[in-house]
Amino acid sequence: MPSSRATSPPAWPCCEGGAKPDRAIGASLVAIVSAATSGSPSSPIRRPGATNGRGETAEKPADSVPGRIVLAMQGVTKSYPNGRVALRGVDLTIPEGDFVFLVGPSGAGKSTVIKLLIRDELPTKGAVLLDGRDLGRLKRREVPKIRRKIGVVFQDFKLLPNKTVRDNVGFALEVTGARRSVIVPAVDRVLRVVGLTGQADQLPSQLSGGEQQRTAIARALVHNPRLFIADEPTGNLDPMISWEIIQLLLRINDLGVTVLMATHNAEVVTAVRKRVVALENGRIVRDQVGAAYHRED
Amino acid sequence: MFAFVGFSLRRAWLGFWRNGLMSLAATATMVLMLVLLSGLIILLHGLDATLNYVQQEVQVVAYLKDGATPQDTAGLVTSLQGMAQVTHVESVSKDKALQDFLARHPDEAEVINSLSTNPLPASLQINLRDPSDYLDVATYLKTQPAVDRVLNIKQTVDQMVTVIGILRAGGTAILVAVGLIVLFIIVNTIRLAVVSRADEIEIMRLVGASDAFIRWPFIFEGAFVGLLGAGVTIVLLLIGQGQITDFLSGYFQVLPVEAAVTVGQNLILIVLGTGVGIGVLGSYLSVRSYLIR
Ligand SMILES: Nc1ncnc2c1ncn2[C@@H]1O[C@H](COP(=O)(O)OP(=O)(O)O)[C@@H](O)[C@H]1O
Ligand SMILES: [Mg+2]
Repeated sequence: MPSSRATSPPAWPCCEGGAKPDRAIGASLVAIVSAATSGSPSSPIRRPGATNGRGETAEKPADSVPGRIVLAMQGVTKSYPNGRVALRGVDLTIPEGDFVFLVGPSGAGKSTVIKLLIRDELPTKGAVLLDGRDLGRLKRREVPKIRRKIGVVFQDFKLLPNKTVRDNVGFALEVTGARRSVIVPAVDRVLRVVGLTGQADQLPSQLSGGEQQRTAIARALVHNPRLFIADEPTGNLDPMISWEIIQLLLRINDLGVTVLMATHNAEVVTAVRKRVVALENGRIVRDQVGAAYHRED
Repeated sequence: MFAFVGFSLRRAWLGFWRNGLMSLAATATMVLMLVLLSGLIILLHGLDATLNYVQQEVQVVAYLKDGATPQDTAGLVTSLQGMAQVTHVESVSKDKALQDFLARHPDEAEVINSLSTNPLPASLQINLRDPSDYLDVATYLKTQPAVDRVLNIKQTVDQMVTVIGILRAGGTAILVAVGLIVLFIIVNTIRLAVVSRADEIEIMRLVGASDAFIRWPFIFEGAFVGLLGAGVTIVLLLIGQGQITDFLSGYFQVLPVEAAVTVGQNLILIVLGTGVGIGVLGSYLSVRSYLIR
């Protein structure tokens, strides 16, 4: 098992071959975890997805090189079966390590972009590429593997009400056939990252909204995805809690995970000054780095 | 592989108990259909047994004149046994005929005993290789002086064959129709159970579960429902077995006893197979629409 090495350098396939050590997710996760646990030393974070519980090594992700294109949409048009056109000729490229806000009024097509990226929908025209692979040409059985490279959270958390925090997070690994010996430490690690170690055995109904969203984030991270997508993750949360969630996403981005967040939250977007892609009526009307929520002239 | 089977069984088990009401509905439907199925199978089996019995038992009865000597009788038996069409000949004396009659109709004993002579004739009961050879044998018998009259059983047999054939075809048609209707009901019941867990399936898809991981827990759950339904049905059948046998031997007078028991083992296998099969098929069909398009 390549992931069994417990001392540095982290044995991640993604970090071999020239990636700068400080960009290595393992190293960064350690930093985060250490920070979260006030400096206590911890072992490097291993990639739980590296083995799939059958002893096989998971598909080797491409090297984590900043600037490399993770996501691309090329001339994407999407019309739904009811005739509604949600996207019209969208071109978008997102390089590795980017943090992108996808903004725009309700109905602009933000969720549609996300559904296309996780291959929940297929484009009517154009192509969606993840890591250079055309999602429209994936074989059925390849779809789950692609989904494991993407962590996704939604406004409504989508937690299973009768499972504890720990089990909700572990579920994401369980359904891919991972063994308990892989699941348990991986879950512990992401719970530390999102700061929910203390609530691990509570049910979603016993958590605040922010804690529920952090549970969902932990579940999305437990595969160690290269891309993290959030569709209005703060839509149901009050401003203070929203800030905590944004801080968490920024930290996740610091680990080298590419983050795409669809949001309405103008304050947050303007304060953070990251790349902003604005949609209106299914078209990209603005794509600006270090931008505010609204156009600034 | 091991993790997969363990996961699927665990989730199937949890799913079954968590959706108690739904599982109960599915199981109850299953029991209903399996009982119906068993009833039809038992009935068909009874018809078959009757037909075989009638076809194999005595096919030609020749009543002998009261004046026939034992030598006449013995000669007839010998010559009949020499015929290629005949498999077995049994000679029934007047006394034996009386005994048989009294055994079958004890109520009539007084009447019979009040007679001064035995009114029942001696007879030869002849089994044929093939019922259609009836005419050859009957023609021969009619030329024999010791023979009083030849009973035309062939007509009766032919009528029974026709009636039973119709009943069989009808029964089989009903069986198929019931099977299809019940499959439809079960699929819908299981579909309700699946729909009630659509959220869970959505989450599984989002986090990258393969189709197999989504499908098999439901298939196992369907198998549980089938197994449980079959179990309940079999218990019901075993409890009712006595009554079934009574009913059958009452209904089909000539049916060899214990028909229900001989049905038993096969029927248990059929019930188990059908229950599990329909449960699995129902789940498979229900969950299909939730998988990756
Ligand atoms: N499944 C669907 N079927 C039909 N129309 C849809 C569907 N999903 C979204 N739409 C339509 O597509 C447009 C874009 O929707 P959406 O992507 O959800 O926007 P946003 O997330 O920016 O609010 C809207 O007009 C919406 O009504
Ligand atoms: Mg939306």
